[in-house]
Amino acid sequence: MTIDLILLVMMTIAALWAVMARSLLKAAIALAVTSAVVTIIMFRLASPLAAVFELSVCTGLITAIFVSAISLTRPLTHAQTIAMSKNKFRRYWYLPVIMVIAAAALFLLKIKVDVPLPQVLAIDDVRNIMWNLRQLDMYGQIVLILAGSFGIVILFRESDKDGS
Amino acid sequence: MRPEILLLPILIPFASGVLALFTSRKYRGMVALIAAAMNLALACFLFKANVIFTAPWAGFGFEFILRAYQFSGFIIGAAACFAILITLYCTVFLKEKAFSNQFYAYLLISIAMLNGAVLADNLVAMLFFWEGMLLTLFGLIAIGRPGAFKTATKAFVIVGICDLCMMAGIALSGHLAGTLTISKISLDITGLGGLAFILLMIGAISKAGSMPFHSWIPDAALDAPLPFMAIFPGALEKLIGIYFLTRISLDMFKLDPHSWVSMVMMIVGSLTIVLAVSMALIQKDYKRLLSYHAISQVGYMILGIGTLVPAGIIGGLFHMLNNAIYKSCLFLTGGAVEKETGTTDLKKLGGLWKKMPVTFACFAVAAVSISGVPPFNGFFSKELVYDGALERGMIFYIAALLGSFLTAASFLKLGHAAYLGKISKENERAKEAPIQMLLPMIVIASFCIIFGLWNTLPIQKLIQPILGERLEGHNYGGFPTNMMLVIATVAVLLAALINHIFGVKKSGSGLGAVDHIHHAPVLSGIYDKAEKRLFDPYAIGLKIVDVVSKIAWSVDRGIDWVYNVFFVDAAFAVSNGIRSLHNGSYAAYLAWSLAGAGLVIIFLMR
Amino acid sequence: MPALFFLIPLIGVITLNLPFRKLMKKTAFWFAAVLFIFQIVLVSSHRTSFWGTGLVQGSFFNVNFYVDHLTLIMLFSISIVSLASLLVARAMISDENKRFNFINLLITAAIGMNGIVMVKDIFSLYVFLEVAAVSAFIMITINKDKPALEGAFKYILLSAIATIMMLSSIGLLLLIAGDTSFGAISAAISSSPQSMLVKLAMAIFLCGLFIKGGLIPFHGWLPDAYSAAAAPASVLLAGIVTKVSGIYTLIRIVTSLFGFTPAVSKVLLLIGAASIVIGAFAALGQKDLKRMLAYSSISQVGYIIIGFGTGSVLGVTGAVFHLFNHAIFKSLLFVNAAAVEKEAGTVDMDRLGGLSQTMPITGTTSAIAFLSTSGIPPLAGFWSKVIIIIALWQAGYIAYAAVAVLTSVLTAAYLITMQRKAFFGNIAPGLERTKEAPLAICVASIILAAVTVGVGVFFPFVFNNFIMPVKEILIK
Repeated sequence: MTIDLILLVMMTIAALWAVMARSLLKAAIALAVTSAVVTIIMFRLASPLAAVFELSVCTGLITAIFVSAISLTRPLTHAQTIAMSKNKFRRYWYLPVIMVIAAAALFLLKIKVDVPLPQVLAIDDVRNIMWNLRQLDMYGQIVLILAGSFGIVILFRESDKDGS
Repeated sequence: MRPEILLLPILIPFASGVLALFTSRKYRGMVALIAAAMNLALACFLFKANVIFTAPWAGFGFEFILRAYQFSGFIIGAAACFAILITLYCTVFLKEKAFSNQFYAYLLISIAMLNGAVLADNLVAMLFFWEGMLLTLFGLIAIGRPGAFKTATKAFVIVGICDLCMMAGIALSGHLAGTLTISKISLDITGLGGLAFILLMIGAISKAGSMPFHSWIPDAALDAPLPFMAIFPGALEKLIGIYFLTRISLDMFKLDPHSWVSMVMMIVGSLTIVLAVSMALIQKDYKRLLSYHAISQVGYMILGIGTLVPAGIIGGLFHMLNNAIYKSCLFLTGGAVEKETGTTDLKKLGGLWKKMPVTFACFAVAAVSISGVPPFNGFFSKELVYDGALERGMIFYIAALLGSFLTAASFLKLGHAAYLGKISKENERAKEAPIQMLLPMIVIASFCIIFGLWNTLPIQKLIQPILGERLEGHNYGGFPTNMMLVIATVAVLLAALINHIFGVKKSGSGLGAVDHIHHAPVLSGIYDKAEKRLFDPYAIGLKIVDVVSKIAWSVDRGIDWVYNVFFVDAAFAVSNGIRSLHNGSYAAYLAWSLAGAGLVIIFLMR
Repeated sequence: MPALFFLIPLIGVITLNLPFRKLMKKTAFWFAAVLFIFQIVLVSSHRTSFWGTGLVQGSFFNVNFYVDHLTLIMLFSISIVSLASLLVARAMISDENKRFNFINLLITAAIGMNGIVMVKDIFSLYVFLEVAAVSAFIMITINKDKPALEGAFKYILLSAIATIMMLSSIGLLLLIAGDTSFGAISAAISSSPQSMLVKLAMAIFLCGLFIKGGLIPFHGWLPDAYSAAAAPASVLLAGIVTKVSGIYTLIRIVTSLFGFTPAVSKVLLLIGAASIVIGAFAALGQKDLKRMLAYSSISQVGYIIIGFGTGSVLGVTGAVFHLFNHAIFKSLLFVNAAAVEKEAGTVDMDRLGGLSQTMPITGTTSAIAFLSTSGIPPLAGFWSKVIIIIALWQAGYIAYAAVAVLTSVLTAAYLITMQRKAFFGNIAPGLERTKEAPLAICVASIILAAVTVGVGVFFPFVFNNFIMPVKEILIK
């Protein structure tokens, strides 16, 4: 239990860091850390499949894309970075406060699991889950990916043609 | 016969009316004529029908019922005859007019509405068609000469207010009877029932053009296109107004001759006869003179029906038919004169009988008819009305007889001034009207004679079946049985002739034949005031409204400030406050959302 | 067969992006138009045999959709508004590539919305909500101008919050029920109605939906997104996307999962009333035509929520009816705004005026929409508003009924201001040469205006046959 608590707190801090970090690079790294902690939590919650996905996609792939993208941008000057970070801190000072308040509120509300929980499903074959039980969601994801790719086409590819 | 056929007399004229609106000038008349012919054919087909068409009315719980029987078949047939004749007349009269498409459209839609109102066996459905006629009435007047819009508004307001009364009456009788189906309603005239009757009666007689709801007709005579006068106040409005009056008097309410509503109707009738005809007497314009007669003749019908004795009712209905015949004929002769000479001012007319002999002949027939000279049709219907009136009281008989005298006098004047005497220089070149205009006049005029000589035909075949059992086996056709009445009538007509000769001698012209009555002491003062419209209920109403509105206006300014300044300023102050909160910062928006979410969660978890 | 509404567009959108793009670019518009018309026709034909049977049940495609009368109404609205948006896109987006992409996105958005209204599984619902939302984000920015990017960014941010809320709630519900289908969750909830966990899940889910639907005080993204979006996107977004993803989902979730409790009713009534009043007041002072319409949207959505909040049969049917009417007349207003934007080059009401003279069709249809929105009989908006007010009255919420009535005066006030400034009066300087909007826009506005008038005139028929059966959602 305590380990879980520590992990959750770590995850929260890493996420806050990602938002409030000085530079984009640090933010990307912080995001990767967050994902890594989430992976550990997932392992502990006995869902190795999800954990593997999280680790490979969120921690690995996305971070790699972010870092490579950031490396293409022009780095800020030192003075700009300081100004940015101060500015950012001033703008997001309330985020930690909200975190604390929300935690306190949830704690004070004393939400207990006061319902009879159903039997957990037996661990099923992932292919069965994906294809037979959640087939519709798979199709939905396909559409989602399509929409996302149109977004990339619209927002990035054509700007080269326009030269804007 | 399928009951759906009853929809056709409504749909066909309506559709062709809409079609006529979009037809090019060349073919408009043709479209209208074909539609009128189809309507006539349908009317003949339905003439002896006895059909009921019932359709549920979506969602409102009552039914849309059309019912064809003796009486409605009669009215539809008569209206269809007039419609086709007038349309034929219009194909020439309106040939050059740009608005003719509107005229045909309104005319045909009016026919559709009239057919609907007559066939409807449900008060609400009837009211719908009835109001439809009000709209076309407005349109028909408004397309007349410039400035007609004001007259159209006047007509609309007067008829509209009376229709509102009728609407209230319909609501009331529906409430009292528990049904809106006309043939199922049977009410007493005590208490609220009496009020309902009076309200419905106002609607009916105002449509027919009785006093005191008449004052738009003389104005419209000058402003509206002439065929309008022939078909609307001349024929259709009489038909439908008197039709409805008869329906409420005979079917919907249990009336007996000794009730007070009978007295009310007779008083309205006799006042209309005398007052309107005395105004007609002094008119100096062909069309305006006729329009006052259109009002006056309604008096005979209301008087006849108001007597509630069989002779009177038959006389009233017969008079309705006769009046439609000779009055439309008279208006059509007026139209012919206007078309050929360009004016209807009696001062500028005269001696036309040589130039337009057929028109004059038609006029003469219709004029003697309306004056009630035997053996033309007007004589027989008037005799029946006299018979009924005498049965109910001497005073009504005398009023009717006085009306007859004045009618005869004014037509002697009109005929003399327009057709006899010397021809004026401007009209030297006038010629006979074209055949399409003459034909309707000749047909209608010949009906004056036919329905006079063979008056048993319309009375026995058309009118007596409407009364059915009330007749108690009597037969009112043929020559009047009461010779005293005939002698009195003939005496009055002779008196009118003598009066005319006297007047012509005194003033020296046909136009001035009645000046000695016009300028008689007492009467001249009243006439002056009437000419200045001091007695026009519409004008009086406008004045009252004016005063009230001035008072209301000053009160209104105060309230207006509250609405216009205070509320508006307050609203914009609030609006600006809210607007300044929306500063575009998404952090602020985020904060609102989260705060809102917090509140909602706490509220729901409580 | 309802799965066709999902499958055909999906296959279509994939086919459109296969090689031969040049040919596909030309056919894309017609494909989408036929698709939406097909949906309109199928929905209005109302064949029960069609809706009852499933597609070929095989291993390849084995999903069940769930269709009731509420779904039918929504499917109809989705297709007709998408059609309007498509027509506007044809006129407003001149670049062929952009238009092609826009049409693709329009189809994916339609897939998403069709999915939302047809699923009966809360996680699938979430997936389709995302499909619709992602398509909408990108459609807003189709022109890549700065305000549009900013508006889309705000929409993404707040939508992300909403997504997190809904996902957390779905997690809690999965914990409680062990499954994500409506039936299982509903059964689990009704077996322990007093549970704090259930209440928390419900509260979070509702808040997420309030954000999606743009209700006060969750509305921050809405005016920016609506007013900055490209014209065809604003038609789709204002007309249907927020209605389906926020309001329809709220109606579905509350009726089939959580059920009405007094607390839920109270929250809905309060938020509805706040949205009505604040939205109307904010609309009153706007200078920008599209921004005014956006605030008006908030206010009108408030009517839907307040009617739904009564929980009575009349209230719920009235809310659904208003949802439908609002989808029609608000997209009509946005179509007209697009026409004005196209022809006059601005939507600043101070610079517009007298456009009815040069743009008669736009002026007339706009007048119809504004009369319907203000609730003038016999147009459709009047009936739904009256039903909602009667429902409030019958349920004893007389104060809320009074708010609803009084605010409709405000509604009329700001819409008359709009109409007067933009369309009536003397023509504004510089606009003398404007002409009627392109044919496609006129067709769209005429179709929508005809629906508004038709539904209003044939109200008894429409209400009895299409809207009244919706009450089945209240009976489990």
